[in-house]
Amino acid sequence: MQNRNENIIVVEDDTQIRNFICYALKQEGFPYTTAGTAQDALSQLVSGQIDLMLLDLGLPDFDGMEVIKKVREWSEMPIIVVSARDQDKEKATALDNGADDYLTKPFSATELMARIRVALRHLYKVGGIKAQAILSVGGLTIDFDKRLVYLDDAELHVTPLEYNLLALLFKNIGKVLTTKYILKEIYGVGYGTDTQALRALMAGLRRKIEQNPTKPRYILTEIGVGYRLVDE
Amino acid sequence: MAEKQKSERVRSIHYVLTLFLCIAAVTGVGWLFRYLRFPETNIVVVYILSVLLTARLTRGYTYGIASSVIATGAFNYFFTEPYFTLSVNDPTYLITFAIMTFTAIITSALTSKVKQNALKAQEQEMEASALYRLTNRLTDAADISDIASITIRTISDIMDCRAACLCFDENGYPEQSFIQQRNANEQVRRNVDDSAAIKHRIENLRTAYDLGTEFYDWPIYGRDAILGILRIPKDTAVKMSEAQMRLLRSMIESTALAMDRFRSAQERIKSREAIVQERYRGNLLRAISHDLRTPLSGIMGTSEMLMGMTDKKDNRYALAEGIYKDANWLHSLVENILSLTRLNDGKLVLNKQMEAVEEVIGVAVAAIGKRTPEREIAVHIPDDVMLVPMDAKLIEQVLVNLLDNAVKHTPMEKEISINVNEDREKNLAVFSVIDRGSGIAAADLPHIFQMFYTTHGKEPDAQRGVGLGLAICESIVTAHGGTIEARNRGDGIGAEFIFTLPMEVYDHAE
Repeated sequence: MQNRNENIIVVEDDTQIRNFICYALKQEGFPYTTAGTAQDALSQLVSGQIDLMLLDLGLPDFDGMEVIKKVREWSEMPIIVVSARDQDKEKATALDNGADDYLTKPFSATELMARIRVALRHLYKVGGIKAQAILSVGGLTIDFDKRLVYLDDAELHVTPLEYNLLALLFKNIGKVLTTKYILKEIYGVGYGTDTQALRALMAGLRRKIEQNPTKPRYILTEIGVGYRLVDE
Repeated sequence: MAEKQKSERVRSIHYVLTLFLCIAAVTGVGWLFRYLRFPETNIVVVYILSVLLTARLTRGYTYGIASSVIATGAFNYFFTEPYFTLSVNDPTYLITFAIMTFTAIITSALTSKVKQNALKAQEQEMEASALYRLTNRLTDAADISDIASITIRTISDIMDCRAACLCFDENGYPEQSFIQQRNANEQVRRNVDDSAAIKHRIENLRTAYDLGTEFYDWPIYGRDAILGILRIPKDTAVKMSEAQMRLLRSMIESTALAMDRFRSAQERIKSREAIVQERYRGNLLRAISHDLRTPLSGIMGTSEMLMGMTDKKDNRYALAEGIYKDANWLHSLVENILSLTRLNDGKLVLNKQMEAVEEVIGVAVAAIGKRTPEREIAVHIPDDVMLVPMDAKLIEQVLVNLLDNAVKHTPMEKEISINVNEDREKNLAVFSVIDRGSGIAAADLPHIFQMFYTTHGKEPDAQRGVGLGLAICESIVTAHGGTIEARNRGDGIGAEFIFTLPMEVYDHAE
């Protein structure tokens, strides 16, 4: 058991799930605190030093979405949202409101830890990723200065739009980007929510970087939410 | 019919008598005129008057025309020389006769026509007022038998008979008794002895009405079923005139309309009640499922962690695994119930957007891969990007359910694949999930998409299912305006599930 020093707050009203999460965190050596209500969570956030928040969207006192908005007023701490399967809309809204990632119930301890690791890596690299000139995932490499993409060391021809999409994903590596966010970043504000163009753009990009677009290795689809570039 | 003929004969005798009386009277008047030495023209005019009177007092053209000819004959016989013969000395009389006959015929024809029109107008007015009275009363009816009772009261009143009405129930069967008008203020219920026979007779009726021994029966046709029969006593029915028949038909139509209106109002109420009940049940089911979901997630997470902490050879590993598997099964059941209640609620709003087929399939295959990593699923899709309007999350669920099914029924090393292609002719995206499993038993095929249908004749605990997965698939695909079917493969063993989605966005689905 290694000891970590990032303090994690678990905001979850169901005792069983809270215990399970806490146990998993203890196994990994994370210090943690718990909160059963949004009110409790907010007061702990103000008083204590907390680095990451696991937030259940269905809290008894008020909406988890409000918690995200409030926290984002003064903190950039990673927020991982925990939600039920049929809450895709809430998931996307939570991400658009500033949450970093989400987990769908039921989830395993392994999944939970993977998400926490990605979120913490971002915490340390804030500013760092954007400053880096070259990033790579597996055989896929992007050179921001030269605006070039390489696949298995060979230069890959991509259109400007495809490059922008890939660059956006690389800058947020490991994170889920909502369709709405990507549309805004790639096509600009006022483009609306027409997903058709993005779907076609993504399909084209995948045909260039993935061996089999139905079993993607680099860019994963999060149905109803958006896309994620894998982080290992 | 015999009585009708008899009354007809009495009437014609009456008319013939009228005709001859008129002629006789006018001849008498003519004698008087001649005695008073009035000119002959007066006599001719008086004869024409008699023709007019005859036409007025009888019916149809026949008597008027006959009267014209006879009047001319009588004038010739009695008042032209030589008297009391039909010959004439002065040939100019022939012209007088011709003109007289002609004038008389035209006059009588005109009179008859005026009279007929008047009669018709009177009949029509009577019909209209009778119908008005009926429909007016029918609007106040409280139920079907009330409608029947109002109808027979009105009809009995107009036709002066004791009409009756036998209502049919919602299933199209005659009721046990029928209502009959006894007198002006009283109605009785009489039992039907041969309702099956009546139903048979009415359903196979080729003519407008059925000739019974006591009643003539007119069926009351509703929009989509026979609503009842109207019974007119035989002795009244045989005497009915054309006009009365017509009136009766109109009245039956009004009754049918009123009954139909009542029935559909009742059906609306019933279906509204059913919807409320269904919604209540759905809400209850949903509330329970919702509450079950969170603790199940906890159980799954905890048992999985217990598995991680235990050596695989330890007995406790198997116990923890058992807990995990059962919780997992329960969890997917709960999720399925939640999906289904939401789908069947009718409140489901499809979040339809243009989605890439490869993405949805990719996610579904990945989900299955997570559950059974060693299973290989082949995917065949067109090379070009295929964008189909759909609610991606729901179609993913369809694919996951179908794949899950295939995985359950197919041995590990055998093929499972997903194929997608475009049917350009029908503008459809065609998805198929095929396997090399045991296939679908013939007995199961027709029921496979039914809710809570699980296959029979297998060892009880082999593959536990609750029969919701495919029902959900059907609901989702149907909500998208597509179709789904299951069949056994033509090329050897295995099952094939095919569903289609329209390639175009339809406005009504938005």
